[in-house]
Amino acid sequence: MANRSGAAQRPNGTQGKICQFKLVLLGESAVGKSSLVLRFVKGQFHEYQESTIGAAFLTQTVCLDDTTVKFEIWDTAGQERYHSLAPMYYRGAQAAIVVYDITNQDTFGRAKTWVKELQRQASPTIVIALAGNKQDLANKRMVEFEEAQTYADENGLLFMETSAKTALNVNDIFLAIAKKLPKYDQNQGQSGQGQGRRLAEGDQGAKTPGNCCK
Amino acid sequence: MKISLFKSPELQFSATTFFAKQHKGETCGSNGLPLTPNSIIIFGKAQMLKTLKHPYLCEYLDIIRGKHERTIVVSQFCGKPASEFIGKNQLSISEVKKIAFQLFTALNELHKKRIVHRNLSCENILIQSNGDIKLFNYGSYYMTNNGQLVTFPIMKLAYSAPEVYLSPSKADIASSKVDVWSVGIILIEFIFNKQLWSNLKLGQQIRKILSFYQCGTSIFEKIAREHNCFDIYHNLPQDIKEIVEQCLQINPKNRPSCEEFLQNEMFVEYKNVKCKNPSRVCKPYQIFTLKELYQWWQLTGGDVFLELKKQGLIRSSPPVLSLPCLIMLDGTILGQGRNPATLYDFRIVHMGLDTLYQRFGHIHLNSCYPLLHFKSDIIDMFDPAPYDIKNLPLVIKEKDPEYQFHRIILFRRLLHGYPFTKDMIRKEAKKDIPPLLRGEIWAALLDIKADYKKAYAVIDKETVTTTDRQIEVDIPRCHQYNELLSSTEGHIKLRRILKAWVQKNTQYVYWQGLDSLTAPFLYLNFNDEAKAYHCLSAFVPKYVHKFFLRDNSAVIREYLAKFSQLIAFHDPELANHLHNINFYPELFAIPWFLTVFSHVFPLYKILHVWDNLLLGDSSFPLHVGLSVLTQLRTKLLTAGFNDCILLFSDLPEVDIEKSINYSIDTFKKTPKSITAREHQNEEFTIQSEHDISGVTLDDLNKERSPRISARDTTDLLRTAPESILVIDIRNPVQFSRCCVRGSINIPFSSVSFGESNIENIGQHAQMLKNSQERIVIIVGSTDTDLELFPKFLLNCGISKVCVLHGGFNILTSVTPTVLVSQKFET
Repeated sequence: MANRSGAAQRPNGTQGKICQFKLVLLGESAVGKSSLVLRFVKGQFHEYQESTIGAAFLTQTVCLDDTTVKFEIWDTAGQERYHSLAPMYYRGAQAAIVVYDITNQDTFGRAKTWVKELQRQASPTIVIALAGNKQDLANKRMVEFEEAQTYADENGLLFMETSAKTALNVNDIFLAIAKKLPKYDQNQGQSGQGQGRRLAEGDQGAKTPGNCCK
Repeated sequence: MKISLFKSPELQFSATTFFAKQHKGETCGSNGLPLTPNSIIIFGKAQMLKTLKHPYLCEYLDIIRGKHERTIVVSQFCGKPASEFIGKNQLSISEVKKIAFQLFTALNELHKKRIVHRNLSCENILIQSNGDIKLFNYGSYYMTNNGQLVTFPIMKLAYSAPEVYLSPSKADIASSKVDVWSVGIILIEFIFNKQLWSNLKLGQQIRKILSFYQCGTSIFEKIAREHNCFDIYHNLPQDIKEIVEQCLQINPKNRPSCEEFLQNEMFVEYKNVKCKNPSRVCKPYQIFTLKELYQWWQLTGGDVFLELKKQGLIRSSPPVLSLPCLIMLDGTILGQGRNPATLYDFRIVHMGLDTLYQRFGHIHLNSCYPLLHFKSDIIDMFDPAPYDIKNLPLVIKEKDPEYQFHRIILFRRLLHGYPFTKDMIRKEAKKDIPPLLRGEIWAALLDIKADYKKAYAVIDKETVTTTDRQIEVDIPRCHQYNELLSSTEGHIKLRRILKAWVQKNTQYVYWQGLDSLTAPFLYLNFNDEAKAYHCLSAFVPKYVHKFFLRDNSAVIREYLAKFSQLIAFHDPELANHLHNINFYPELFAIPWFLTVFSHVFPLYKILHVWDNLLLGDSSFPLHVGLSVLTQLRTKLLTAGFNDCILLFSDLPEVDIEKSINYSIDTFKKTPKSITAREHQNEEFTIQSEHDISGVTLDDLNKERSPRISARDTTDLLRTAPESILVIDIRNPVQFSRCCVRGSINIPFSSVSFGESNIENIGQHAQMLKNSQERIVIIVGSTDTDLELFPKFLLNCGISKVCVLHGGFNILTSVTPTVLVSQKFET
C-alpha cells in the first residue's frame, strides 16, 4: 500500500518517533465516511462510492514535525443495524472521526449519539473529531456551521467542515487529530495500552524506521 | 434441410441512432450525486419496449449506448415503408380499410401500455409482402421521456395533430389522441394516393395545419378540395369517410380512441382474419425468436457500431473541433456551433444476416429439435455428432455462436416443459448456462411458480416506511457502473422490489447489502420485476436463511465460525497463519457471506458464481470464500495482520472461473455435515439423530476443526473406506472391546501436546503425515478431550481433520455394520 504523505522525510533516515494510532470513523450511512478515508489514503473520490458492509480497513502515514504517525483506519458501516459491530472497532481506538452530512439534520443528530456513546464506552483518552462532510453542497446546507462548532466546543471535539469531493479539510482533520494525540515512541516495545487487539506481535517489522514513508 | 434455407427475406435488423440531450456543465441532483446522463435514462426506459411482441409491430432488439450520449436503437425491420407505395399504386378501399384496422390494432396495443407513438407517418409503417403492416420506430417518444431527453422534436410535421404545435411546453402530457389524428392523415394519403402538402415549405405546412382551427366544416373535405381530390372524397363509402372524419376532429376529446375505432362495424371482417388462415406449418425460421437470432448474429461477428460507421451514421471528427471558444465559470459554453450530428438522423441502417447464415449453414435441421427424453439408436445414427466444446473455458463457450445456438435451443425446449423438466434443467445447468436465457433458467432453478405475477402485484410497494431513507441512500450506490442499474428506471424498480420484500418478510429487516443481493436478479429480469422479486424471495431462505433477522449476529457468527473451520479442514497452514495473526473472518468476510459476494464482485462475476451456487446449497458460499483465500494464499502467508486486512479492503482481481472450479472441487470433497449449521434452513435439510445438533456458538468458536456427523461417517465407511482414516483416541481397553472397522488407536493420554510435532503421536505418525487426501475422523468419548487432539493435528499441518459428533457411543446404534471387536478380529 503506497504511503502518500505531504511531509518530507528526513535525510539519512534518522527519523524521529514513530507512532501508530487506531482511528475509527463513525456516522450515519451515506454521510461520506468511506469517501473521506479514500480521499485521505488514496487521494481519490468516487461519486458512487459503494456502501460499506461490516467495516473496511486502510492505513495511512503522515509526518508531523519529527514524528511519523501511522493511522490504522477502521471505516465502519453506517446503517444503524450494524451498530452492534461498532464496539469491536472503536474499542481500543485512540481517535475517532464522527461524520455527519451538512445537508441533513438527522445525520447531525446521529453524530451526537455517536459522540455520547464514545464518551461513555470508548477509551477515556480518545480524541474525537467531528466532521461536517459534503461542504461542497453548502448551498443545500441544513446544519449551520456555528451550531456544530458550538456543540463541538461544548464537548471538547475537534471540528471541521470537510468535503471528500473537493478534498477540503480532509488532510487537515487527520493532521489535527495527529497533533492532538499523545505521542510516545512505539519502536521500543510499546505496551498494549490503547492498542487494538488486532495489533499482533508478528507485525513489528512494519514499524521499524525506514519502513514508513517510503 | 440446412439452416441456410431458413432465410426469411423479410427478416432484417436495422439500427437508428441519435444523441441524448447533454446536461450543461457539472450539475448535481438534490442528493448531491451527479445527474444521471440522459442516455442512461433512455437506456433504462427503452428496455420495456423490448418486451413488445405483436404482429403489427417491429420488435425492438437492443439499445446500445455510444460515446457522448449517443443512443443506438436496434430493431426488426421488414417490408417496405408505406411512403414508397404512395403515388405509385392506388390501394383499393378494402385494402385501406385493412390498413386502418391494423393501424388501430397496433396503436391500441401501444396505448394500452401507455406508449404514444407521436411520430407516426407513412415512412415508419412498413408494408409486408402479404399486405400486412408493421409499425417501425414507434418507441422514440416513449423512451425519451416524451421527447424531453433529446434536443430535437419527435414528430413528423405533416402528420402531427394541431395541438402538438400549440402546446410544446406541455410536451410531457402524452396524449394518445395525437396518434389518431396521424392515422387520419395517413388514410387520406392512401385514399388519394398522394402525399399531402408535399410542395409546401415547413412554415407553410404548420400554418396549414393550424388553419384547421378556423375550419368550420369537415377537415377531410377541406383537404380533399385543396388536393383536387373532391371526386374521390365524394364517392368514398360512408363508413371509411366517417372514420377519417372522426380521426381529424380538431378537438382531441372528440376523436375516438383506437379501442373505440376497433368496435366499428366496418372492422368486423378483419377481426377474425387470423382464424381464416389455413393452419400452416411453422416456417423453419419461425422456430427462433428474433432475440435469439440477434444474439447469434452478434456472436458471429455482427457489430452494430461497425455497420453504422460503414454507412456513415457515426463519424468521428477531430476533438479540437468540438472545443468551445469560451466557457464561463458557471459552465455556460459559448462559441460552439451546434453539432449537426445532434439533430435527428432519419437514416436507417440495414444489417443483413448473411454471416450468420454462412456460419450456421452446415447445421442440420435435426439440431433445432433436440430430443429430450428418448433417443433410439436408429435416430442417433442419423443425428449429427454433437457440437462439443465442453472442455474449453467458460468465456469461450459463451462467445461461441454455434455452441450457444445448441445450448439455447436445448434450454428453451426444456424451459417450455418447466416445471416437469426441472431435473433436466438442473442437470444441463451443471454444464453451463447460456447468458441469453440465464434469467429464466435461474428462476427455474429457484422453483419460481408460473403464477408469480399476481402475488407481486398485490404487495404494497409505496407506503412510506422507516426503512425508506436507508434504501434511498443505498440504491444510488448499488452496482452503478452498470447501465441498467444506474438508470432511473433501474432505481425505481430496485426500490419497489426492496420495499416489497421488506413489506412481505416481516420477520426480517432491511440490512445494507440486500440491495446488492437483489441487483443480479433485477439485472437479469429487468423487464419482469415480479420475477426478480420472486427470485430474491426464493433465494433468501435457501442461501441466506435468517441472515436478515433484526438480530442476526448469532447466525452470522455461526456462519463465520464454520468458515474458519472449513479453512482449517482444507488448508491447515493458512488457517494456522491467520489464527496466529488474529485475522478473523469477522473482519473481512461479513459482506462476502451476507450478500453472497454480490457486494464484493462485479455483476459479470457474480453471475458465474451464482450459476453454480444455485445448483449447490447454503454451504457453497463458504467454499467460494475458501477459494478466494486460496487464490491469495501466497500473499496471505507472508503477510502480517495489517497487510492481510488491507488486501481484503481492496480485494485484488480474482480469477473467477478458477475460483469456481476450486469451490466445486472442495464442495464435492467435503462431507455435508462438516459445514452443517444450527441455523440452516430445515426446509432444505433432513435432520436425523445421526446428524449434528445442539452445538452452541461457544463450542463452535472453541473448536478449530469441524465436527462430522455419524451419518456421514458411516456413509463413508460403507462407500469409500479408503478415503478416510479413523483415529480412535479412547484408551486401549475400550478400543479393543469395540471399535470402528479399520480404525487406529492413538490413546489421548499417550500423546504430549506440548509442541506441534507429529512424531509425538508415535507409531502412526507416518501414516498421518501421508494421509493427504484422506479425511481424518477423530473418534473419542465423553471422557476424552475433543479439542486438544484435533488442534494438535491442525498445528502439525494435517489436513481434513474432523471430530465425530457424539463420540464413539453414537455409533453403537449402527454396530453390526461398522463396528468390530478387536478380540474378535484377531
